[in-house]
Amino acid sequence: MTGAAAVSPQAVARLQAALAAEQAACYGYGVVGAYLSGAGAARADSDWIAHELARDSLTATITAAGADPVAAAVAYRLPIQVRSATQATALAVIIEERVAQAYIGLVGLTDLTLRAFGARQLRDAALRATTWSHATAAFPGLPGNSLSAQGSTPAISEPG
Amino acid sequence: MAGGPTRRTVLAASAAAVPLLLTGCRGVEVLGAPPPLAPDVRLLRSAIEAERLMVSRYREAVAQAGSQGHPIVSALTGIMAEHEQHLAQLTARLVVPAGSTSRLPPATGANAPLPAGLAAALAALETAELDRSNTLASQLLRVPPSLAQLMASISASEATHVPVLASLGRPQ
Repeated sequence: MTGAAAVSPQAVARLQAALAAEQAACYGYGVVGAYLSGAGAARADSDWIAHELARDSLTATITAAGADPVAAAVAYRLPIQVRSATQATALAVIIEERVAQAYIGLVGLTDLTLRAFGARQLRDAALRATTWSHATAAFPGLPGNSLSAQGSTPAISEPG
Repeated sequence: MAGGPTRRTVLAASAAAVPLLLTGCRGVEVLGAPPPLAPDVRLLRSAIEAERLMVSRYREAVAQAGSQGHPIVSALTGIMAEHEQHLAQLTARLVVPAGSTSRLPPATGANAPLPAGLAAALAALETAELDRSNTLASQLLRVPPSLAQLMASISASEATHVPVLASLGRPQ
């Protein structure tokens, strides 16, 4: 992702939200890796690096847009208690789901560079979640209430 | 898309045609050819048709695996259910005016039948999933934001089907 010349306030807000999610992910993967060994630990390391790279890319983009990147917290409250490899794996899945939700915000922007970046990151997060959980989801990143019956979401009309 | 009709002009042309329909005495031929589909409508319709095709492919794969009593039926049925959800959500985004006739033929599934043999069928599904995911990732750059979000999510979902299919195709 390159530095955008004119990034809207809405885009900056969504970039900041994605950055906050990546910072939390970096912290969370530190915990995940601590409870895994062998292939699991290697996978946690690899995913951790992916999140660090995304975090750095977001930080650079926000800075290039003239805004101050949000600071990472010193520590984060984990969404679940982690005391075992099974719980660590469950945490990795939750991390990826939350990151996916943050990136769907970027996809909703009109800036196509940011939209494409968001879509790539969303796909990567979904793939990592599937690797951890061995399961798939019909709508990664989308909140359930955005999926509804016909007419309740912005629709595209055919000419009559 | 330069030089082509925008969605706004197409919709405006459509709206302008209504009084002719209501008041004209010379028949609908006065209207001439119907306005072309706007680019985002075309993309959405093509995504819907592609999703229909995926569902039909999975139906075929499930039938093939089921006839052999193969244990992967359950996994294939689960993925097919996700495609059915994709199809339902994409279809919900398309508003077809009352009285309008569909401009695409009904999906038959005959355009891309699965190859015979379960291993070959799984490999074909894998290729199709990857292709769909990539196509949606490209199309989402040319539609309104809300639809882009849905397409991105579906693209991500279909990308995750690829490793699952690969694992189903490996000897246990």
